[in-house]
Amino acid sequence: MNINSKTHMMSKLIAMFLALTTFCMIDANAQSFQEQVDLSPFDSVAVQTEGRLKSFGSFAHGEMGFVSGPRKINGQTPEFTFLDMLFRPEAYADADVIYVKAAIVRKPIADALVKAEPSLAARMDGFIKTGLISEALLQRSEVEPVMQQMQSDLLRTAKAMDSIRGARTVMRPEFLLRELRIVPSPGDQKDQQWSSMRDIMLLAADPGALKAAGATATPIAGIDETKQRECAAAWKSLVEGWTNGDAIVVNKSLVNIAAILPSMNSDAYPDASRLRWESWYFSNGNLVWIWLVYAVSVVLLLIGLVYHWRGARVAGIAVFIVAFMLHSCALGLRWWISSRWPNSNMFEAVTTSAWFGGCAAVILEIFLRRRAAAGMFALASGFASAVALMAAHFLPIQLNAQISNMMPVLHDVWLYIHTNVIIFSYCLIFMAAVSAGIYLVYRVFGGKAVYARVGVSSVGAIVGGSVGGTPGASALRGEKLGEVLDGVTMLLMKLSFVLLWTGIAMGAIWADHSWGRPWGWDPKEVFALNTFVVFAILVHVRYRSKDKGLWTAILAVVGAAVMLFNWIVINFIITGLHSYA
Amino acid sequence: MKFGRAIFDLFSSVRFGIVLLVLLFIYMSIGSAGILYPVHPNIFHPDAWTHAQMRQWRPFEMTEFEWFHWWPFDLMIGLIALTLIVTTLRRIPLRVINLGVWTIHTGIIVLIVGSFIYFHAKVEGDAPVARRKIVLKLDGVEAPVELLAAPGSSAFIGSGANRMTVEVGEIDPAWTLRSGQDEGATAYSVNLIVTDPSKRFIRQLIANHPEYTEDLMFTNDPGQPMKRAVKETGTPILEPRLTATLDYESQGYFYLRNDLAKSWALYVRPLGATQWVMRPIDGLPLYNDRISSRSEVFEVGGTPLVPIDPLSVSIPATAPNDPCPDVIFTANGYLRYAQTKSRLVGGGSNAPFNPSATINVKSAEGAKANYQLIALDPERSTGDEGLIRMVAVSSEAEFEKLLRRAEVKIVIPAAGIDIVEAVRIPQEDAKVDAEKPFIPIGDPQLGYGFRVLAAQDDLPVADRKASVLIVDIKTPDSTIRRWVFDDATLTRDVPANGGAHAGPIAPDPAVQFEYRPGGGRALLTLAAGPSPDQLRLVASFGESAGKSQPVTVDQPMTLPAGLTIEVSSYQPRSVIDTRPMIVPLEQQIRDAREMFAQILLSIPGGESRWMEFSMYAFDDFRFALRRHPFHPMQVKLADGREMELLFSRQRLPLDTEVALEEFVLTSHEGGYTGQAGTIRDYTSILRFRDSDQWGAPTQVSVNSPIEHNGLWYFQAQWDPPEPPSSQNDRGSRGLNYTVLGVGNREGVWIQLAGCIIAVLGMIYAFYVKPILIRRRSERARLAAEIRIGHSNEVVTP
Repeated sequence: MNINSKTHMMSKLIAMFLALTTFCMIDANAQSFQEQVDLSPFDSVAVQTEGRLKSFGSFAHGEMGFVSGPRKINGQTPEFTFLDMLFRPEAYADADVIYVKAAIVRKPIADALVKAEPSLAARMDGFIKTGLISEALLQRSEVEPVMQQMQSDLLRTAKAMDSIRGARTVMRPEFLLRELRIVPSPGDQKDQQWSSMRDIMLLAADPGALKAAGATATPIAGIDETKQRECAAAWKSLVEGWTNGDAIVVNKSLVNIAAILPSMNSDAYPDASRLRWESWYFSNGNLVWIWLVYAVSVVLLLIGLVYHWRGARVAGIAVFIVAFMLHSCALGLRWWISSRWPNSNMFEAVTTSAWFGGCAAVILEIFLRRRAAAGMFALASGFASAVALMAAHFLPIQLNAQISNMMPVLHDVWLYIHTNVIIFSYCLIFMAAVSAGIYLVYRVFGGKAVYARVGVSSVGAIVGGSVGGTPGASALRGEKLGEVLDGVTMLLMKLSFVLLWTGIAMGAIWADHSWGRPWGWDPKEVFALNTFVVFAILVHVRYRSKDKGLWTAILAVVGAAVMLFNWIVINFIITGLHSYA
Repeated sequence: MKFGRAIFDLFSSVRFGIVLLVLLFIYMSIGSAGILYPVHPNIFHPDAWTHAQMRQWRPFEMTEFEWFHWWPFDLMIGLIALTLIVTTLRRIPLRVINLGVWTIHTGIIVLIVGSFIYFHAKVEGDAPVARRKIVLKLDGVEAPVELLAAPGSSAFIGSGANRMTVEVGEIDPAWTLRSGQDEGATAYSVNLIVTDPSKRFIRQLIANHPEYTEDLMFTNDPGQPMKRAVKETGTPILEPRLTATLDYESQGYFYLRNDLAKSWALYVRPLGATQWVMRPIDGLPLYNDRISSRSEVFEVGGTPLVPIDPLSVSIPATAPNDPCPDVIFTANGYLRYAQTKSRLVGGGSNAPFNPSATINVKSAEGAKANYQLIALDPERSTGDEGLIRMVAVSSEAEFEKLLRRAEVKIVIPAAGIDIVEAVRIPQEDAKVDAEKPFIPIGDPQLGYGFRVLAAQDDLPVADRKASVLIVDIKTPDSTIRRWVFDDATLTRDVPANGGAHAGPIAPDPAVQFEYRPGGGRALLTLAAGPSPDQLRLVASFGESAGKSQPVTVDQPMTLPAGLTIEVSSYQPRSVIDTRPMIVPLEQQIRDAREMFAQILLSIPGGESRWMEFSMYAFDDFRFALRRHPFHPMQVKLADGREMELLFSRQRLPLDTEVALEEFVLTSHEGGYTGQAGTIRDYTSILRFRDSDQWGAPTQVSVNSPIEHNGLWYFQAQWDPPEPPSSQNDRGSRGLNYTVLGVGNREGVWIQLAGCIIAVLGMIYAFYVKPILIRRRSERARLAAEIRIGHSNEVVTP
């Protein structure tokens, strides 16, 4: 039920069906508490973490991500799980909530446990499949030597052990409480650390009990003391309500806390609507589900292309435009929330790159709407965006959507110039490979060896309509389809050729003043240049060869493969492989 | 002629150009990403493939930079340039329509020229610059003593009774000034802990504010452990004979980056000299271990990790001021990642007496501990912070002395007391406990008592050794703090709570104390000798306290409190075998670079020794920066001259000295919390020394370098705060130094011009040329129509 992977789609559906029918029978109480608790007041609570002010929602997503990775615990929202883990840690001690990402470390742990206690076999099968294990199992003495052994292998398993240790640390209620820095610092000094609830909660404690425990409660200087006391009292009733399973008390306390916190220093407190949107953005999966809309447009456009069906094509373009608008909203929202243009981590690079492709497609579709190539750019871009957002959806660890501060080296105007030009060119390269791929399919199915003629322009086939034929569907028949595809590939290839060259040169300018050298033969640089070399080969081969369309298509696909190699293999594998890299 | 023609044709062939581009692609891919090759016949199995960086293989041993400067690459680029020029001139007519191609090709040629200039002039390295050094001067001592302002760094000045030990205590990189004109401003503050035979105090120095220098005194009040001397004595300086000032610790060199192009170097200086002289080492590998015999190294679990592959790289003198130009050292081995380990082995019967033992101790609860102790090695003769100890005795008398406990003889004539009391020596680093109970002297009714605060045996004082016990003595009417020496003439009273006078006074004769230090035995003491096979155990607790019992190897002995002790091996004539241990790949820290490299250096006519890599050629240990390994080695040449050697990287002079005025760390919301995500920027505020004068401060931060005398300075590394890493470490609040990247960039403007020319050409070729062609064909069509008279339109070209 908490499996979130496309390969398990079917079992997920079945599990969901079963869950619907069984939940109310077995766990009515627990379920109802979770349902009755209304965490929405906390959507506008800000948490200071790692040098940023985040909404509670995005903070809880981040922290729970350290524990259970991409998995959801009991179908709960991360916000609920965060507070539940804080107030009722015992409920999670032996629950399989720790996600072990590295598959190679799962088996040794499972083997050690099964050896010690054969009855765990079934549970361990589940662990090997889902990667979820409990704190109590990891604590067992049989696991310890296995984990220690794996910790000492710095090359293969130490990182996985570090992340398990990280998950166990985060799960501890003292850690969760300490990190819950929701009490704003007094004054307007931005580099003052916010306080955790831990720092004021004792203000609501019974003085006698406090004395008996040898503790003291001192309010934070600079903040209205009555507010601190009110907040501590509300927190106390929240804790009591939560542990008693009393949703009414909990909801009231949540409202109170959410109201008091901003009033402690309203000048320094972030805008409530921004915080609410941030929570919304994270609880809606960063809107990467838009890939589905793109996928629909791709299907419609392909139907339109293959069956020369104008209706499907028009519908496809319409759906594409809807998807692009949603995508733009997601991007704009992220821009507003993070107060910077989204291009500084892998998630942002991939989704923004796809968005640039969408922009190019929309502009080209408008200019060439009466030409034979109408719909082709939407198709290529829709495909690129669907793939990009799908990657963000299904690889949430590699493409981490958390908003964090940029490294100091990224704070430069060239980040915005260089990175965007490069990722724009990468998307165009991918789009060119889409049309080149369709061209190759066309040739496999017996299409003629045609190409778009220069002079009638690189956009020859596209403006084909104006040269003689009638615009629209008729132009897509027979030889024209090959010409159109080749023309689209060439148009996109030329754009990306110029942009890639410019982007590389701009990167060199940035590297020159940032790292002290314009070019350092770093693998990322080399493979960006390699991509360009492939396109240089393409241009010259096209000039020399007889079957221009075929070679163009093949090399466009090769170029895209090199680009993807740079983005995926170099980024995730090569640079991390050699310490001298 | 025919051949020449064929060559000419070849270089004007587009096909040849394409072949060259394909080769370039392959060459670059191999050099950068490496290669995949099958290691198993079943190539469809995922484990059948392995990845390798070919350029790092033994025959190549190349960094990325070197791979892309190798002659095949230069040749390829040269051929591409030639083909480009010949083809363009011969095959592409210079017409308006072809301007794009011409421009692109011109741009590429310009870029190649620029890159040639750039890469052939390229030097790049890093220069560490510390923030301040401390200059110590003492009246009557000629030469000032310098040491780095870094936590834990220490030096001494003077001799005999004038000898002062100065240790750097806490450094606050942003100390807030509390008074004077600059109240509220922050400055770099350094606390020095000064110890001389009679007192201990702290001197606080504040950078750029010598007027605020003042001394702080230790007190017995745990609430306020230090007091300003000015409040106590009316003068801010307790010890006017000692002057300490903060000064720039400027840097005049930068060290070449080894990962750019191998740039190993050996540094040489006569023992005692400060100036290092560099000898570049050419031909030393970087990636692969080179040994000529397995006995040179330790390997984990005894399994060979590296093949035997001997090395011989001679390291002759190159500088005119080399201290031993006639001596050619040789590197006969190289290890990329190794740690020096020592193992104890039994020496022959001729080996000197050097007892060592392996001891297993088991407590009643089942807790086990294992110790390997070497009696004559002060670092390794004790275990568990001194609870267990191994000693070597050369005579029975010495052994008797060992059995002796520490005592104090107390005489109080007024009360008729003349007794000897055993004293328990507190742990060395134990906190002075003001609440510690007094031990009554004689009848408690008399009101006399004492407590031991600290003890130190065999303290070097002037030209001999003395042992001291610091005690508080309670008399019916007061409490006296006394430093009781084994030599009664040294014993002094120190006013415990300040009092009217500063400094020690002669002891009060009403109460006489005499310290008799013990034999230095620990809770458990293992004594070897006087006969080499004799091993005895002395326990200091339980019924048998202070008595010895003979030890037999492998025979467990039961002690009071359920303790079991077993000596599993005893070597009376042990020899320490020290070798580098090759660290297996999976245990290597990533990004360690050359940090753990070693070379086997042969001294002509002498021995061969492994040398650990040093990051920089610091002048001295007093100037070594935190986190940067520094391992100089002393050697004796065949003719008896003593030299100091250092294995590091080549360095180049900076032309101008650079000093670090200030280092500023800026942070995001909530300040720096130790997490990388909270750091906004690092800024070094530098000053350059031109024409013997420090210039105005200039800032270098990430993405904003500065240029000075043709070299560019970049912010590269910083000094983060760090908790203590061991018992003897103070920890650091960081920001005591910066590491600047330094490099040149000749030809970058030509490179940039090439890129711009090329991109202009691309735009022309892709977007202007088609318009020209279309217009031309349109015109041709219209012309044709006009000719056959089908058109009445007026045509404007």
